[in-house]
Amino acid sequence: MATHQAALRATTVEPHAPAATGVWSWVTTVDHKRVGILYGVSAFAFFLIGGIEALLIRAQLARPGLEVVSAQTYNALFTMHGTTMIFLAIMPFSAAFFNYLVPLMIGARDVAFPRLNALSFWIFLAGGLLLNASFLAGAPPDAGWFGYANLTSRAFSPGLAVDFWLLSLQVLGASSILAAVNFVVTILNLRAPGLSLMRMPVFVWMTLVVQFLILLSFPFITVALIFLMFDRFFGTHFYNVAAGADLHLWQHLFWAFGHPEVYILILPAFGIVSEVLPTFARKPLFGAPVVIYSGVLIGWFGYWVWGHHMFAAGMGPVADAAFSIATMVIAIPTGVKIFNWLATLWGGSIRVTTALLHAVGLIGLFTIGGLSGIMHASPPVDLQQTDSYFVVAHLHYVLIGGSLFGLLAGAYYWWPKITGRLLDERLGRVQFWLLFVAFNLTFFPQHYLGAVGMPRRVYTYPAGVGWELWNLVSSIGAFGIGLAILLFAVNAVRSLRRPATAPGDPWDGRTLEWRTSSPPPPHNFDAIPPIFGRDSFWREKYGPRRGPLAPPPAEHGLHLPAPSLWPPLLALGIGVAVGGALIHVAVVVLGALVAVYAAFRFALEHHRDPAHEHQVGGLGVDHRKLAMWAFIGSECLFFGSLIATYMAYRGASVVGPHPHEILDIPITTISTFDLLMSSLLMVLALAAVQRGDRFQSRLWLGGTALFGLIFLGFQAYEFTTFVHEGLTLQRNLFGSTFFVLTGFHGAHVALGVAWLLSLLVLDLRGRLDVRDSIKVEIAGLYWHFVDIVWIVIFTLVYLVP
Amino acid sequence: MKFGASIRPRSPALLLAALALGGCAWDVPHSTLQARSDLAREILGLYALITWAAIGIATVVCVVLAWVLLRYRGRPGAPVPRQTRGHTALEIGWTLAPALVLLVIAVPTIQVVFRTQGAATPGALEVVVRGWQWWWEFRYPELGVVTANELHLPAGRPAVLRLEGTDVIHSFWVPQLGGKRDVIPGRTNQITLTPDTPGVYPGQCAEFCGASHANMRMLVVVHPPGDFERWVAGQRAPAREPAGEAAAGKAVYTRSACVGCHTIRGVSAGVVGPDLTHFGSRRTVGAGLLPATLDNVAAWVRDPEAIKPGVKMPALGLTEAEARALAAYLLSLE
Repeated sequence: MATHQAALRATTVEPHAPAATGVWSWVTTVDHKRVGILYGVSAFAFFLIGGIEALLIRAQLARPGLEVVSAQTYNALFTMHGTTMIFLAIMPFSAAFFNYLVPLMIGARDVAFPRLNALSFWIFLAGGLLLNASFLAGAPPDAGWFGYANLTSRAFSPGLAVDFWLLSLQVLGASSILAAVNFVVTILNLRAPGLSLMRMPVFVWMTLVVQFLILLSFPFITVALIFLMFDRFFGTHFYNVAAGADLHLWQHLFWAFGHPEVYILILPAFGIVSEVLPTFARKPLFGAPVVIYSGVLIGWFGYWVWGHHMFAAGMGPVADAAFSIATMVIAIPTGVKIFNWLATLWGGSIRVTTALLHAVGLIGLFTIGGLSGIMHASPPVDLQQTDSYFVVAHLHYVLIGGSLFGLLAGAYYWWPKITGRLLDERLGRVQFWLLFVAFNLTFFPQHYLGAVGMPRRVYTYPAGVGWELWNLVSSIGAFGIGLAILLFAVNAVRSLRRPATAPGDPWDGRTLEWRTSSPPPPHNFDAIPPIFGRDSFWREKYGPRRGPLAPPPAEHGLHLPAPSLWPPLLALGIGVAVGGALIHVAVVVLGALVAVYAAFRFALEHHRDPAHEHQVGGLGVDHRKLAMWAFIGSECLFFGSLIATYMAYRGASVVGPHPHEILDIPITTISTFDLLMSSLLMVLALAAVQRGDRFQSRLWLGGTALFGLIFLGFQAYEFTTFVHEGLTLQRNLFGSTFFVLTGFHGAHVALGVAWLLSLLVLDLRGRLDVRDSIKVEIAGLYWHFVDIVWIVIFTLVYLVP
Repeated sequence: MKFGASIRPRSPALLLAALALGGCAWDVPHSTLQARSDLAREILGLYALITWAAIGIATVVCVVLAWVLLRYRGRPGAPVPRQTRGHTALEIGWTLAPALVLLVIAVPTIQVVFRTQGAATPGALEVVVRGWQWWWEFRYPELGVVTANELHLPAGRPAVLRLEGTDVIHSFWVPQLGGKRDVIPGRTNQITLTPDTPGVYPGQCAEFCGASHANMRMLVVVHPPGDFERWVAGQRAPAREPAGEAAAGKAVYTRSACVGCHTIRGVSAGVVGPDLTHFGSRRTVGAGLLPATLDNVAAWVRDPEAIKPGVKMPALGLTEAEARALAAYLLSLE
């Protein structure tokens, strides 16, 4: 066995040409491993900022009545701490692991869309910098990471603080959606032959679940923030109670995102633990299919329980009961996961490494966090616990005890793979125990503080009500956590200064990433690895070997994605355009021009590159088509939220004009017919391109665009007429909801027209033929989707009385 | 500030537990673990059930985890352990076990949800609770009484609190009397409860509501039967006519911007700030921030921002003498 292993290593570790170096190579990189490292380093930097914010918070609360910071600053600190840790630390830490590991674990050379991957990172960085620029502008967001309307409205939060918050969250959301589309396609399409879904490592499975959660939950916060943006910038009334608005709207939209977000934060850690435990117990994950199913179920149920954040908001007993039961049900798959992890360790031959310690720490601490979660799944109990320090304790047991311990386990586990160097185990153990003790010292007493009535988000508290001692203890613990993180940083830096001598498989790993050198070559594997089943690499080393289960693909030379400047430039344009909204409209235009230019260069960079023509993977569907389907799934919820808001606010306007007084059904019927016909032309255009009929492809592409333009003309006419008749965005809730809904649909049509015209120009210049039909096909998918959305809008807005 | 005699540990066990947890039970007037109304008792029963279940499960998991780590610690050179991939019966077992525990929790939960959110008892005392940045207004529509930051209720009689938002979302929370409920502009939420033990119970806004969210406190005074009527009669009386320094304070009040925002029946009719007709009968100033002593009230009217950041009440540029006179006047309004 041992000789076999040695032979295996010898074949997989080969000298390769040194990778490009220098800052520029990092700016233009599209290598998933480098993008992963960029994510990790940025996340750690933001994590330190969020940590400093936390320490200031705990310094202020160490004693009653302290004035370390002012009330206003304190409010900014907890807002920025929450927003930073969620969006700029844990999510990108997870993204770092997704990026670095998923292609390696599925035996791929990169992600499906390497440039899109780089774009996701740069947009994320732009969003993170924009959010923190608020400190430099002297206007850090201070309305809470949950930004409850109507405290965030101009009336109660004048100034730039909330603008910074909402704009940077929109940017970060765009980054997440793009990354999610990319990873869905990567995982479904780029698996090595033989690596069926159920043979995938659990970490890859959890990644997949997280990507679906991002696609299906981010649209809600996008819409909530769009409403807030329109309220603040353009005077609409989505959250204006005087105009008839219902403040539950924000809460429903926010938590419909916010609760799945919890699983977006925790499931990657569950995935990491499911890899670390089997390696160090030297046993397969116990009941792997059940662990996978339970992860999927956690994601699925987690999607339907947002209302448990609103038990105090007065939804009524029926809704309370329903959300309560749904929430409790999540405990079942979560419990199954924990028991399966215990059973994995049971009977193993456990090597207590730092990675294992963190993974085991997660099991214990997350169990506590999960159980306190069940306590507030009961609405009556929740009424005593919500918005108290009990919840602060609960969420930190989940997000530090769960997510952070999991991420640290992953950091110790995969550090040698990423850097070629091992972290110091002794220092690591000291760090683990310090973190473990300090964490419990900080957060366990907060359960008690909540039970004795200390509310959250208070910058000070009175003496003599029994809160002093445990606040002091908690503050001391927090600085211990800070020290532990410092130790981790020291360990990392020291390791990087040593020579890269780690072997490819230092832990006797089970999955494919250990089958290549540490760090892997730019192309990951010299040959796409054969698959022998679940834990393929372990089977390859120790048996029982079945297979290989499928012949490796026939490769004609290695194709590695070329570096590209356009992703960072496009992200820069987006960042400037969005940040410009806080400065001057000219800056917005400038940023938008850069973004549009970069987007076109991006799109055409590899047009006609033979290596990019055939992109069919595991599902037998072209990557680009699969990506469009994933994106459309997300868009369904985007429009669903807009339409649902319109329906919820129907009849809520306190002044006219009302829909029946103003909507012109005959005219709109004509424009609807026009749009439907454009779908028909789209079908003809695609057919023409596919059979290489240049005349007809031009005719129908142009015709589709023209019909789209006619529809937009109708919409312009309709909007102008309405404004003349007194219906504006600012007039009433009907105006706000109607114009934002139909306006966003119109914007989608306009984007579609621009897309079709670009294809037409390509065609006219002779650069669009049968080989490019996929490009027309995905444009068509988008176009048909936008048309279908209009049918729903037309029915619900115009036809339903 | 004194919080009534009712806040005493009920049993030696509780006392011990409280001591172990780092405070004396009588020092924790915000405790959710001391129930002083029917609502709070319903919740506490459920709270205890779920807490014990949670502690039990956590203990089992942590003990098993520790045992497994000790028992199956690998030695260098140990053989590869048996590659067990799963056990269907076991896995079905530990899927069903949590489901059963959840059933035990879920059934009483649903019962309490519907019991505590039912229709108000006929004959209940109705109080309109309004949250403002950053103080509380309490209106008794049937009694014609308006007060601020100090809610008075009779023990033993059901009360219906109708929660009406004014500016942003707040949350009404008096832990010993039961769970919190949000006070949302544009909606009317409701709490129904019957306080059962006379005493003074502190409470606080529990939904982040801006700069001085931490400084939006209140007291609930639960009166013994009979005593409440006396309080109501006092509140319905017209404002007292001041004498001495207090009379000078009234002059300061009437010529200052105070009258624009505050009501003192017969003197001014502002509606933006708390009704001060019987300010002198209240225990605190600044929404539960400070005991209502002459010094504190004078400091408050001179520079409220120094005590409550972001406060909507402006500093009026009063001299020390004017502030003390004004404080004397306000405190005379019993």
